[in-house]
Amino acid sequence: MSAPRSLLARNFLLALTVIGAAGTAGVYFSVARERFWVNWLVWTLFLLTLGLGNLFLVALERLVGAHWSVPMRRVPERIASLIPLAVVLLLVALFGVPVIFPWTFPAAAHNPILVAKAAWLNLPFFAIRLAVCAAVWMLLYVFYVRGSLRQDESKDPAFTVRARRLAPAFMVVFFFSVTILAFDWISGLEPEWYSDMFGVYLFAGTFISGIAAMIVGVLSLMRRGRLPEVQTKHVYNLGSLALAFTVFFAYIGFAQYMLIWYANLPEEVSWFKHRIEGAWQPVALLLPLLHFFIPFFLLIGSLGKRHPATLRIAASSILLGHFVNLYWLIFPVLGPTPLFGWPELAMACFFFGLGCLQIRRAMGRGADMPVGDPLLSRGLEWQP
Amino acid sequence: MSSGTFAVLGLFSDAHKIVEAAKQIRPRKIGRLEAYTPYPVHGLDRAIGLAPSRLGRLVMLMGVVGACLALLFEWWVSAVDYPLVTGGKPLFSWQAFVPVMFEVTVLFATFTAGLAMLFALNKLPFFGHPVLHSRAIKDITRDKLALSIEATGKTFDAEAARQALIDSGAESVEIVPAPSWDRALSLVGFLRTVAAIVAACVVAGAGLFAVEKLMPVVPPMIHMHDQPKLNAFRESAFFADGSGMRPAVAGTVARGHLAPAFATPEEAGTLLSNPLPLTQAIAERGRRVFNDHCAICHGTVGDGVPLLSRAYGGKPGNFLSNEIRARPDGHLFGVLMLGKNAMPSYAADLDKDDRWAAVHYIRILQRAQNAKDEDLQ
Repeated sequence: MSAPRSLLARNFLLALTVIGAAGTAGVYFSVARERFWVNWLVWTLFLLTLGLGNLFLVALERLVGAHWSVPMRRVPERIASLIPLAVVLLLVALFGVPVIFPWTFPAAAHNPILVAKAAWLNLPFFAIRLAVCAAVWMLLYVFYVRGSLRQDESKDPAFTVRARRLAPAFMVVFFFSVTILAFDWISGLEPEWYSDMFGVYLFAGTFISGIAAMIVGVLSLMRRGRLPEVQTKHVYNLGSLALAFTVFFAYIGFAQYMLIWYANLPEEVSWFKHRIEGAWQPVALLLPLLHFFIPFFLLIGSLGKRHPATLRIAASSILLGHFVNLYWLIFPVLGPTPLFGWPELAMACFFFGLGCLQIRRAMGRGADMPVGDPLLSRGLEWQP
Repeated sequence: MSSGTFAVLGLFSDAHKIVEAAKQIRPRKIGRLEAYTPYPVHGLDRAIGLAPSRLGRLVMLMGVVGACLALLFEWWVSAVDYPLVTGGKPLFSWQAFVPVMFEVTVLFATFTAGLAMLFALNKLPFFGHPVLHSRAIKDITRDKLALSIEATGKTFDAEAARQALIDSGAESVEIVPAPSWDRALSLVGFLRTVAAIVAACVVAGAGLFAVEKLMPVVPPMIHMHDQPKLNAFRESAFFADGSGMRPAVAGTVARGHLAPAFATPEEAGTLLSNPLPLTQAIAERGRRVFNDHCAICHGTVGDGVPLLSRAYGGKPGNFLSNEIRARPDGHLFGVLMLGKNAMPSYAADLDKDDRWAAVHYIRILQRAQNAKDEDLQ
């Protein structure tokens, strides 16, 4: 009974992607090139951060030796399969760098600030940094996700030990690479601005949206009866984690804003000024609402973390908030009014369909639970 | 309650059995169920009918109250009671208020959680829990789990409770007597309490002495204080004149204290006229300035009779005299600015508008003492 429905969903996603691809091609040839690449960048970073956030969750479980999340670990492992897709999309985005990054423009040679930053902001080094980060992410992805899939058959407990040993190194490499991603691809769009906290800001957004995506994935698998042994107590913990890191994200985001607001230095404030005033103000207000207030008040009680519908609304709000966040970070380079028209919708269809298809493809690989992991039974029996 | 039963305790050694026993006994409503276990037992809280704690809601409520109070306080302090512009920011700068709001929220929430848990929900303080004096307590803190049926009211049937526990599989049953107040209130109990308080004071004092007097003093972080900087009224090697304070540039004028374009009051009288319109508010301001600064020598009505004692030998001007009534406004203004005879200059104390308002008020006093016929109609 579920096969035709699943086929229908697949065909729908395929149709969405194909229509979106045609629309994206249309955008490339008919609309300003800047707008095309900015859309491309927002969606690529959206998919990449979801993938990286879930890979981080997988490694975090190994690092702290958690048992409760083992039965649900296949979900973040599958969402992490967005990484190879997004890495390809980001490599394509290299073609857009001379279009949207002001430090590549000829005028940059006359800007003393950009001349001073040229040692970091130059195309060869930029590409090398991207290549190194992409290679690191792919290696870690292959190690953790493919290794876990292989363990389904081999039942080799040695992999669990190796995965735990690598986890501390993963954390260090991960923080550096996400910081570079944030500095290069987002704050580099307005290269005169700088904020030391920006790397942490993107990392916090990556982590919380990764948890949100995992919650949505776990709940949808549970609704289809594919995770029969996962219980409320397991999901409850995900809700707690989401609550904690919703607050963490809000803390980092507000701290960055408040310090810049207090110091009131022209080169720092100008970045915020055109993001929170004028036509961008509604978007700026939407961000704390979706990213903090809605999930926070839904998740603060114990009921919200147990009740699947509430949890799903909270997670969806965070995911939507994460998209709004990237939109709000990147789109203001196009002008003082937020642009959202058919080019955005067409490209949203394309990337959304692509991401969903990629996750569906990963869903076909391996069992729904990491059946080869020696910690699985402890995870199922885990008591709060 | 000097005698009687506090509770009946049944001991179990299996976590599943105690949960089952609680489920069996609870519907019979013999007494209030309570459980004592050396480790948390899953599902036991629901089996003994423990309602979800009300603490969470209380903490949430007090957290919100804390946030609102902090916001109210900061608004009142910064924007109402002592409005002081800081760094060019608006008086009501919510961005600057958020950290304090956050801290006060946490303060209220944690204190509520701790204090309400201890005193409201757990009913502290009391000298000792009756179960602590039972024989079973050693087993409970080691490897046994105890289900207790607490006496509720006079109709409590200890025998029925004992039987119910045995029927549901308790390994042994013990009746715990109600606490006896005699012991707590005896002379020995009182002396013991006094000794405990004295001992606590001695330990605290010795600890303070050890920290304050015996331990080497660690200097505090004073990097910020010791940084190179200029202080007003201090010497400094940075400038050639050796002073931290910079002299004002020649011709500098403080806000509201324009340099006079006249050398004598007479000259001012020919040059200046009162720029302020005579309104109720200006007259009121003039009255305030006059009473604060002028009346002490010139008298409250301006008749030149000082409020100071007779020992003051000066002869202040009489504003009601024909001589002063004939002087132009600018002349009075000039005297306020430059001083005259024993009167010092008020240029530093009063700003321009204060002086002109005072001139208006002097004219009002003169008119009041020399009213014309039509003023009275």
